[in-house]
Amino acid sequence: MSAPLLETRSLVKKFPGVIALKGVAFDLRAGEVHALCGENGAGTSTLIKLLSGIHPHGTYEGELLVDGQAVAFHSIRDAEAAGIAVITQEFALVDELSVAENIFLGRAPRRGVCVDWLEMQRRAAALLADFGLAIAPETPVRELGIGQKQLVEIVRAMDKKSRVLVLDEPTAALTEQEVAVLLDHLRRLRAQGTACIYISHKLDEVFAVADRITVLRDGASITTLAVRHASVPLVIKHMVGRDLGDLFPRRSSAVDREVQLSVRGLSVAPVKHAPLFLRGISFDLHGGEVLGFGGLMGAGRSELLLHLFGAWGHRLAGAVSLRGAAFPDPSPGAALAGGLALVTEDRKRYGLVLDQSIGFNLSLSSILRFFRCGHLDLPAEHVRNQQLFDSLRVKAPGQSARVGGLSGGNQQKIVLGKALMTEPHVVMLDEPTRGIDVGAKLEVYELINRLTAEGKAVILVSSELPELMGMSDRIIMLAEGKIGGEFARADFTQEKLLAAAMGRARAA
Amino acid sequence: MNAKLLKNLAMPIALVAIATFFAVKEPAFLGPRNLTQLIVEFSITGTLALGMFMILLTGQIDLSVGSGVGLIGGIAAVLVFQHNWSAPAAMGAAFVAALLLWTAMGTLIVRQRIPSFIITLGGLLIFKGLFWLVIQNSTIPVSRGDEENLYSRLTTYYLPASIGFALAALVALALGLLAWRGRAARTAHQLANPPAGTALAKWLVMAAASLGLVYFFNHFRGVPFSLLVLAGTAGVVYFLTQHTPFGRYLYAIGGNEEAAVLSGIAVNRVLVGAYVLTGVTVALTGFMTTAYSGASTTTVGDLMELDAIAACVIGGTALKGGRGTVWGVIFGALIMTALLNGMTLLAVAPEIKFIARGGVLTLAVWMDVKLGRR
Repeated sequence: MSAPLLETRSLVKKFPGVIALKGVAFDLRAGEVHALCGENGAGTSTLIKLLSGIHPHGTYEGELLVDGQAVAFHSIRDAEAAGIAVITQEFALVDELSVAENIFLGRAPRRGVCVDWLEMQRRAAALLADFGLAIAPETPVRELGIGQKQLVEIVRAMDKKSRVLVLDEPTAALTEQEVAVLLDHLRRLRAQGTACIYISHKLDEVFAVADRITVLRDGASITTLAVRHASVPLVIKHMVGRDLGDLFPRRSSAVDREVQLSVRGLSVAPVKHAPLFLRGISFDLHGGEVLGFGGLMGAGRSELLLHLFGAWGHRLAGAVSLRGAAFPDPSPGAALAGGLALVTEDRKRYGLVLDQSIGFNLSLSSILRFFRCGHLDLPAEHVRNQQLFDSLRVKAPGQSARVGGLSGGNQQKIVLGKALMTEPHVVMLDEPTRGIDVGAKLEVYELINRLTAEGKAVILVSSELPELMGMSDRIIMLAEGKIGGEFARADFTQEKLLAAAMGRARAA
Repeated sequence: MNAKLLKNLAMPIALVAIATFFAVKEPAFLGPRNLTQLIVEFSITGTLALGMFMILLTGQIDLSVGSGVGLIGGIAAVLVFQHNWSAPAAMGAAFVAALLLWTAMGTLIVRQRIPSFIITLGGLLIFKGLFWLVIQNSTIPVSRGDEENLYSRLTTYYLPASIGFALAALVALALGLLAWRGRAARTAHQLANPPAGTALAKWLVMAAASLGLVYFFNHFRGVPFSLLVLAGTAGVVYFLTQHTPFGRYLYAIGGNEEAAVLSGIAVNRVLVGAYVLTGVTVALTGFMTTAYSGASTTTVGDLMELDAIAACVIGGTALKGGRGTVWGVIFGALIMTALLNGMTLLAVAPEIKFIARGGVLTLAVWMDVKLGRR
């Protein structure tokens, strides 16, 4: 058998305080789709950065071979010249230019000193047609959907004669149909001999398209499996290093009678004088209970949470009471003081000060507790931070590490920790497991169990129905700003919930 | 590790380089007379830069401080010279005016959600106009005739040698006490302390530095009073930014304002607070600058906002907010002052001085952008 197209031998990459890769062996054959699976922080991103020349030769130990020859990439250009193209979640497309201009960015066909526009259009059209894409070459990229942008990037990579296509979480923002289209294209490319490294948290996609799977854990390559001999539970087991058991380990706690949060007839507009967005929402939340909120995109789940927290909208009608006391004029400060905490959806945008340390972020909402005799009791703060840092099992060199450098799962733990430090009675979690890996998800679920066991009330918003059904004691589906249906645990079925999300529950 | 060390040493190295350059060109640069003058100018720039620092930390900017310096100094001068007020009363009234103006400006910025750049640019022009109205485009001395008052002595008073030493000893004692209390607090929480020897050595260096500084100043006329104003301001700003929730909030707002709001921080109140504190430094600087030039004239405070911004940025304060230290600002102000003072001493033409000042500001911002993108 000939040498693999791409091979790595005992790659070691060290960052200050962390060893990101400790001996990764990996090989890619021509004409295969090879999936890389690993939790956040397992080393997949670092490996990709080595392969693509972002971490240049000399900053790591070990060997990188292309066609059996050791290579030294000093820049992204070197990697591209060797035929390796990386397509990341952040697009390298210029929104204001046309599809054709983007495909030939920096290497436009020329006639003399001028760009040969006709030739460019012609070649772009041919490429797109060849790829089965019904996109006109003159379309501005900003008018494309995310899935189409992804495909345009692939077209560009293919025209650069790339032999290895690296796709880093390509489907994170795609709809199901777009995913299907993308996977079809990958299969066609494979048939033409292109090799592909496919990185995704979504194991069903991995199994749908990959030939082999290499699992990384804690910076080491654990195993490489042929897909036809593997199964999802087996891959997960290798990823987390143990049997996961139940994916949704909800342990129902004794629900107490006391209502922690009561909402009656709540109607909210985005701003004053705007049409209503949330309409007539009523529910009670008890201690020890997980109340799930589901619904389609734009149904108003995040807005409801943000409004209760005092950070969104103009209330036109309705009453909210928090632990028995009326809560008429909410603000984030008042909510936290009253024992209501919110873990927001977009942790980088709304949750964290990325440039600051873990400790800074953990105590940000609770810093007044450490303000004694006119100054901050920094040692006391340090101790409290360390307790949370340890109990949340944050993977970082220490609490002085910069939050921006952590993996998604660890960042999410910091946002959770910040909310927990305020010692809330009601915790609202908006998509707490989005974009984090299986192991970290499980830790979030265990945390929810711990909170309810302590008698706290939890609101869980999730777009993933299995998660919502697995972790909630009760589910309310929102549809277009109204309650579409409420379900007890015994009544949870995907069909009923989806029907309610479409606003068809009462008709059914 | 080496890169970090280099970054920390960059400013002292730049300072030494600048001082060496001027000293070679003109030995009087390091003479006691010029150094004392330089320290007064440094106190003026540094105090204003510390106010600007708190605004920049939040990611905002205040372009009006230079005009404000002229206006507040002018109000006090007019009250003393034309209305025969006592200096403390006049300065008190001007100080209150500064508080009111900056409260109003801060409130306008947070309530109306207008970018601080625009509002304070308006402030720059409005304060300038008010300033010239107040002093009637003339020159108003800070005292009547040859008499001295608190105002005129702000930048001409030097501590007697013995009081200077006593103060240095007091500062050393306070630093030691704070360090000791810090260690005790960490021990009480069962946290590890750095070795006692290191802490002692650190304290000895600081104590020796403060005594040495006084010893040095006593060779000429004593410790300039204006330096005490700067030291006091720096101490307060350091305490506020590092040891109070308010300081945390400044960093948090500059780092990610949306996250700060959702962390329960009363962002608007904190921002207005930062503007009011800046107003305080504007008043202090206004008094010192006007006193330094002996009278309030139309050019007092000109372009000082740019010197203050340059001092902060040279010292590593990020223009986009969330990053910066008091020590950096102090160093930045020292570099800025040394440059201006040295050029004056060498009798560099004003047009060249403008260009050099602009060049330094541009260089500092360029470095900020480069470092910010890390």
